Amino acid sequence: MTSITIPTSLRDVLEALAGGARPIAGGTDLVVSSRQGKAPLPEALVAIDQVAELSEVKTGTDGLMIGAMVTHARLMTEELLVESYTAVADAAALVGSPSTRNVGTIGGNVMNGSPAMDTGAPLVVLGAEVELRSTSGSRRVSLADLWTGPGRTSAAPDELCVAVHLPLRPVRSGSAYVRLEYRRAMEIAVVGAAASVSLAEDGTIAAVAVALTAVAPTILAVPDLDALVGLDPTVAAQRVAPAASATATPISDLRASDTYRRHTIGVMATRAVEAAARRASGETIAVPVNRALGIGAAR
Amino acid sequence: MTTLEDQASAPPRFVRADGPAKVTGSGRYVADLSLTGMLFAKFRYSGVAHARIRKIDVTAAKAIPGVFAVLTAGDVPDVRYSPVIPDRTLFAKDVVRFEGEILAAVAANSPAVAQAAVDAIVFEYDELPIVADLEAAMADDSPLVHEDWASYAVTGDTPRDRNVATFSSLSKGDVDAGMAEAHTIVKSRYVADGSHAAPIEPRGVLAQWEGDKVTIWTSSQVPFDARNGVCETLQLPSNRVRIIVPHLGGGFGGKCGFHFEAHIAALARATKRPVKLVFSREEEFLVPDRRRESMIIDLTTGLRADGSIVARRGWIAVENGAYTADAAFFAQLAAMHVAGPYKIDNVHIDSHLVYTNHQPSGSVRAPTAPQGCWACESHTDELAAAIGMDPVEFRKKNGIHTGATGVVGQVYDEIGLQQCIDAAVEQIDHAAALGEDEAIGLAVGWWPSFPGPSGAYVRLDSDGAGQIVTGAQECGTGAVMTLRQLAADQLGMDPEDFEIIYQDTAVAPYDTGATGSQTLLNNGRAVVDAAEQIAEQLRQHAADHMEAAVADIVLADGHAHVAGSPSKNVSIAELAEIAGGGELLIGKGSGKPPDYPEIPGMNCVGDQGVAAWAAPQFSCHAVKVRLDRDTGVVRVLDVACAHDSGTIINPIAAYGQVEGGVLMGIGQALTEGTHYGEDGKQRNGGLLEYKLQTFADAPRITTKFIQIPTADAGPRGAKGLAEAPNVPTAAAISNAIAKLVGRPVRQLPMTAERVWNALQEETP
Ligand SMILES: Cc1cc2nc3c(=O)[nH]c(=O)nc-3n(C[C@H](O)[C@H](O)[C@H](O)COP(=O)(O)OP(=O)(O)OC[C@H]3O[C@@H](n4cnc5c(N)ncnc54)[C@H](O)[C@@H]3O)c2cc1C
Repeated sequence: MTSITIPTSLRDVLEALAGGARPIAGGTDLVVSSRQGKAPLPEALVAIDQVAELSEVKTGTDGLMIGAMVTHARLMTEELLVESYTAVADAAALVGSPSTRNVGTIGGNVMNGSPAMDTGAPLVVLGAEVELRSTSGSRRVSLADLWTGPGRTSAAPDELCVAVHLPLRPVRSGSAYVRLEYRRAMEIAVVGAAASVSLAEDGTIAAVAVALTAVAPTILAVPDLDALVGLDPTVAAQRVAPAASATATPISDLRASDTYRRHTIGVMATRAVEAAARRASGETIAVPVNRALGIGAAR
Repeated sequence: MTTLEDQASAPPRFVRADGPAKVTGSGRYVADLSLTGMLFAKFRYSGVAHARIRKIDVTAAKAIPGVFAVLTAGDVPDVRYSPVIPDRTLFAKDVVRFEGEILAAVAANSPAVAQAAVDAIVFEYDELPIVADLEAAMADDSPLVHEDWASYAVTGDTPRDRNVATFSSLSKGDVDAGMAEAHTIVKSRYVADGSHAAPIEPRGVLAQWEGDKVTIWTSSQVPFDARNGVCETLQLPSNRVRIIVPHLGGGFGGKCGFHFEAHIAALARATKRPVKLVFSREEEFLVPDRRRESMIIDLTTGLRADGSIVARRGWIAVENGAYTADAAFFAQLAAMHVAGPYKIDNVHIDSHLVYTNHQPSGSVRAPTAPQGCWACESHTDELAAAIGMDPVEFRKKNGIHTGATGVVGQVYDEIGLQQCIDAAVEQIDHAAALGEDEAIGLAVGWWPSFPGPSGAYVRLDSDGAGQIVTGAQECGTGAVMTLRQLAADQLGMDPEDFEIIYQDTAVAPYDTGATGSQTLLNNGRAVVDAAEQIAEQLRQHAADHMEAAVADIVLADGHAHVAGSPSKNVSIAELAEIAGGGELLIGKGSGKPPDYPEIPGMNCVGDQGVAAWAAPQFSCHAVKVRLDRDTGVVRVLDVACAHDSGTIINPIAAYGQVEGGVLMGIGQALTEGTHYGEDGKQRNGGLLEYKLQTFADAPRITTKFIQIPTADAGPRGAKGLAEAPNVPTAAAISNAIAKLVGRPVRQLPMTAERVWNALQEETP
């Protein structure tokens, strides 16, 4: 038998967690995977959807704060995100179906820790940190330190993710997330890539970050991209492909072979950098890039 | 010939009688039904693809509190059943032959207790070698799926050999001589994976006995077939088994045949309680004996210098799976699709239905046709390319036409294949110009009509309200809904004046069910026949009432009037009231089914009756696709369809059929295919990894009907339409992809990875 408490204050949530309850946000991972027989429902659940502060999106001097309960439907339309942290909106817009997006949350996505999660790679390239809180205090961790394996995080069982924090964006910057998909709804990333680009005044690359979805046990940042600084964005976009393929350690499964994944992750990385650079240069590419630019963001 | 020029030019508005209930959620499906004291059923499956049973022990399961019955093979009559090749039993005996085979059935007071009992059943077995590959299965040294196959009481002209369940050949002329004459010969191999019908509603069955009669509510497309299955396996006369189908949540052929009605009826009898079964989505994938068969197709075709086909040789293996559901005729049907709607003087095709240790195959929407057409039509584009001829011109030259002789020697009356080609080309050319990495592909297809027995009653009650009582089954096509229009037209009334009682075998006369695109063709005939009997009665009453000659009475607009003077009239409601006080207005219809054509001099071995096609339907689909060269992902942008299905009676329903068939065809073309593991089990039995198309993937679809009122067809010259649109879509997509890739993708579905692999191949 599962029991569920539905507090309205954060303190009560944290207390329930301290007492051994598991948080449930939208339930689209938690409930569905128990129905599929992957993991039984925990004995005690605490719902976090009635805590108003967890649904806030706020700008501050150090950037943007997204409450853990913010849904994908909101992420994909929220102006603050669409304008400055577009890759997150690109990703949210691709999640499942309208009903999945209406209930699935950013906190659930991040804390579920699936290597195929869509908001993960965008948050990595944008330098996000999650804020974890428990009755005994609060701390911020980078995503690289949060995810320790498929479905595993370094958060303690009594820690709630209250928010995701995104640092301020540099000038002339843009970001994008593209995903390989075999159909246009209810798809799970076969592979996906996010890029954040900022441009120098002459239009060359000033900074670039790329992260990869579904090609390793966790979301992976592509290392050592400094060599791309100073390059023309189209050249940089081509160069990123072999780097992404080399970073990936994909598996073969029903969705794709490792060979095909290793190839297409390069393609996605190239397209993500291209789209991010175009946004950085001031061009508007509608969210999500996948739809605006056609299949898997082909030009 | 008339053509509906423009589907936007408002065809008559026709609201489906079952539409609002389905859309608003007020409609009741089997899973929604509950009866007092009802128990819940679950099955124990083999879970292994091929094994000899050592022991099935249900003692522990029976001991669980709340378990009312656990049945195994010994608890039901020892009957081997199936049409043509009776190779199945309700419960496994001695050997299990696929992973979804039923060992035992449990009824308990909750689904959870039933599941606990299922888990407590002890199953010990010795594994047997798995037969999975079609060609290996046909080798002399292959293990046999059915060791006792020679002892099965098969019917008809059914040559069999080891793992070959049925063999069929089409043979005409002299292929060797034809090939010797050929200027160009092209040889191809195509391999199609199996796939699923995937209706949205998982199967449900609810059975309740009252005395020695059983009522079974079931999600069946073919209630009479389901009834016959219960009667055969539980050895009951047909008048003691009543099948009722509430709303059906789609079928696509997957709910044809007789499934689990007898298991649940047996549980209900054993427990003296109503018992309900509702499948999970996973069971829906793994267990039913209905999925689309995998196929291997080898084709060799010789061309004369002028581009005419001189000879065709074919070899086909069609997967039967572990048991023969209704697939006995698939070998011959596949051969017809691989031969195609072409004029070929010399043809020889050998076709085999092959047993494996996989889920049984069965009629899924146009069985064998999408795969056969895909192979034939991809090969056709290869032929055209080999001699540098335009594929449209090649098809117009070789395709059959009115008066032509087809592959089996059948001579066709007025048919619209050529017009279909023109209409599809015209529509796709109206689409926007081709962009980069876009191409158009086209394919033709054909499909038989299936004349058969069918019955209906129509009555008008004393208030003038009409009732149609029909044995026909509505599976979502709208065909049963269209019966109101036929009855109304016959009586000069409005379709809305009629309600339909359907899907109840105790109430209505026989009909084959929602199978073979036959509902309108056969049950339409029955309803027209029944309604006409009432029309005669009404004309007689009107003649008496208005003191006019019967022959002068016209029924129109809800009234009977005297020909030439519409003001001299009486309402049908008034006539019904008069009749209500005397001889009632009741019509019963069946009508003689149209004859099958004869084929002079056909030389087929293993004839299963699907070489001579009554009222054949023709189609041409042209598609525009875009290819992402870097990933192999294909997106279908436009589909232009042209269909000769004879007269179109209910245009809205007809467009819906074509559009649904196209979407299903795109799934088969690009994303839908079953993966099997080394253990002979499905690896993607569920909606997570089995990728159906979504509405977000739907292309623009335009449709033209080439309306040729066809003799020896259904009412007003209508043929069928439910399966035809599913036939040429994958083939047309294949031809568009081949243009972009430079070669065909020889595996179905043509997944992104397969397309990408084809892109990597060196051009020879
Ligand atoms: C049909 C369908 C389609 C989907 N498609 C996609 C897709 O395209 N892309 C994608 O990325 N995902 C997809 N998902 C997965 C899922 O919807 C997302 O991961 C979603 O963001 C999860 O959020 P949730 O609020 O529903 O999480 P829940 O299911 O409520 O929680 C998930 C896990 O995180 C924990 N948790 C939740 N909130 C917190 C918190 N604030 N602090 C600590 N732990 C927490 C829970 O205890 C649980 O372990 C899909 C799911 C379904 C059912």
